[in-house]
Amino acid sequence: MRKKIPLLLLVLLGALLLSACGGAVRGTTWPGLSADETTAYLADLPFVYGVNLANGREAWRFSDPNDNKAQFYAAPVITSDGFVIVGSAASKHTLYALDPRDLLADGDRKVPAVEWTFTGATGPWVASPLVVGDKLFAPNADGNLYIFNLKDGQSQKQPVKVVELGGRLWAQPVTDGERVFVTSLDHSLHAVDVETYAIVWEKDVSAAIPGSPAIGADGMLYVGSLASQLERFDPETGEHNPVLDAEDWIWSTPTLDDGTLYFGDLKGNFYSFNTNDAGLNWSVQPDGAITGNAILQNDHLLLATESGNLYAIGKDGKTLWFQEVGGKIYTTPVVAGDLVLVAPLETDFYLAALDSNGRQVWTFAPEK
Amino acid sequence: MWDLFVSLFINVLLWIYNLVGQNFGIAIILFTVLIRIVTWPLNAQQMKGAKAMQDLQNDKEWQAIQKKYAKDREKLAQEQMRVYREKGINPFGSCLPTLIQFPIIIALYQSIIRALASTPLDLLKLSRSINPNFLDVANLIPLNSKFLWMNLGQPEPYYILAIVVAVTTYIQSKLTLPPSTNPNDQSAAMGQSMTITMPLMLGWFALTFPSGLAVYFITSNVLGIVQYAAQGKANWSNLLPKSMRKT
Repeated sequence: MRKKIPLLLLVLLGALLLSACGGAVRGTTWPGLSADETTAYLADLPFVYGVNLANGREAWRFSDPNDNKAQFYAAPVITSDGFVIVGSAASKHTLYALDPRDLLADGDRKVPAVEWTFTGATGPWVASPLVVGDKLFAPNADGNLYIFNLKDGQSQKQPVKVVELGGRLWAQPVTDGERVFVTSLDHSLHAVDVETYAIVWEKDVSAAIPGSPAIGADGMLYVGSLASQLERFDPETGEHNPVLDAEDWIWSTPTLDDGTLYFGDLKGNFYSFNTNDAGLNWSVQPDGAITGNAILQNDHLLLATESGNLYAIGKDGKTLWFQEVGGKIYTTPVVAGDLVLVAPLETDFYLAALDSNGRQVWTFAPEK
Repeated sequence: MWDLFVSLFINVLLWIYNLVGQNFGIAIILFTVLIRIVTWPLNAQQMKGAKAMQDLQNDKEWQAIQKKYAKDREKLAQEQMRVYREKGINPFGSCLPTLIQFPIIIALYQSIIRALASTPLDLLKLSRSINPNFLDVANLIPLNSKFLWMNLGQPEPYYILAIVVAVTTYIQSKLTLPPSTNPNDQSAAMGQSMTITMPLMLGWFALTFPSGLAVYFITSNVLGIVQYAAQGKANWSNLLPKSMRKT
């Protein structure tokens, strides 16, 4: 027996390390979620699911047959011509354009055809790309902004331009029509000309920026950072200054409603900020950390918290209703028609659809 | 409890990282030195236990009871326990310290993964692992994961680290293997098999897991070799082919 002890210990160590490895195990990070009129698109580690909004049933699922270590968690982007673009955050770091109108049979399941792929990035695809006309601006964690022509008909896509921004690019860019703004964990905000792809300006703040900027009604850019500050940037020059100190890290992208921005922090505070006078209207603290964006629905805001609850908060800061969804919610909820879609972690289901009053309509859990 | 243990590792690792100019590779190396210093008594006990077990294999009384009770395993076990008691040997004395090091390796692995935060959830967990009164978290993140040619959060693609891990593990195992004159010495046979198994296993870990862990293995091995050599216990002749060793 003594002879076997060291070998048993080695096997134990290997098993423990492997179990800690994570790999493509659900829960390694939070899923990405988007939707159009008929389908919800859920990027949840080994698979991207297309879920029928009418009944919550799986319409298709995608995984790369040539890359069984692929992981998906950036929210899929739907192009105007119906393709679903999603990148893998592991292994070969492939960016895919899927065609959900061209479903192939894989046993009992349906698999969307792959319209094109791009395999030239060296880092994970954490950020969703941005479609601007027939161009795709895709930031990668390798620090590059890859720009593609969506109409070139290539199946092995090559970028028309690679803009080296540096740092880890984790957030979807935004555009004001002239420039594309890209944040970086490397404490920077970059402005890239939408036509020439030249870097117009690059400015540093004092901490990493995990979310996207919001363009205010005043034309200024507003972005939160891990320095727990809301920064305001001039989109022309990049001149910037902090306009609000939050209590904790600001992860989410501010949501704009006329002259008001709404955003949360990791301490669970939810802020209403007036861009006209750069003052705080109010803040409330529902429960649990806020990593996702608030979304506007009708005349109120929907907000998900780490505690697994979905809140409807009026523009005056009063809670209209809340619904316990379960698990932990980090992903920004998505409104699709009359439904509100929520993708929690640590629950039996992957996706829940609620009606406009917070009542559960269906849940989705994929069959094995 | 386990999370607290990992958090402690992360805070110390990042404190060193900040101290050495935000170089995570150097931070891992210095952290390994710190771990070796803290676990020095354990290593010493392990070496002492292994030596005692080795000496026992050459003990006349031990050999006699092996022979006498070869067909009665129960009686043999009783006699072995009696000899252990009389000679003050803990038969697991060389294994327990090794066992205690396992959580350290696993915690370090988890610390490296969490500190380098390759996913949003990792970054969120990292924010909760660091004491903000102790470290300026906002300024530190994201960590610089580049060290020499490696990305410490990813496996090293050129197999160089895996080979160095396997070689240094092999050298360390060989140096610490005491000579045995008893051909039936089970302990020596086990030691010999471990000099092959351990390098292969750790080499495979280095190939599969983030290269930061391989940096830990290499540093730990080199320090182990230095420790044995400094104590005059390194058996350098074991590195030579059998035909070239002095008998």
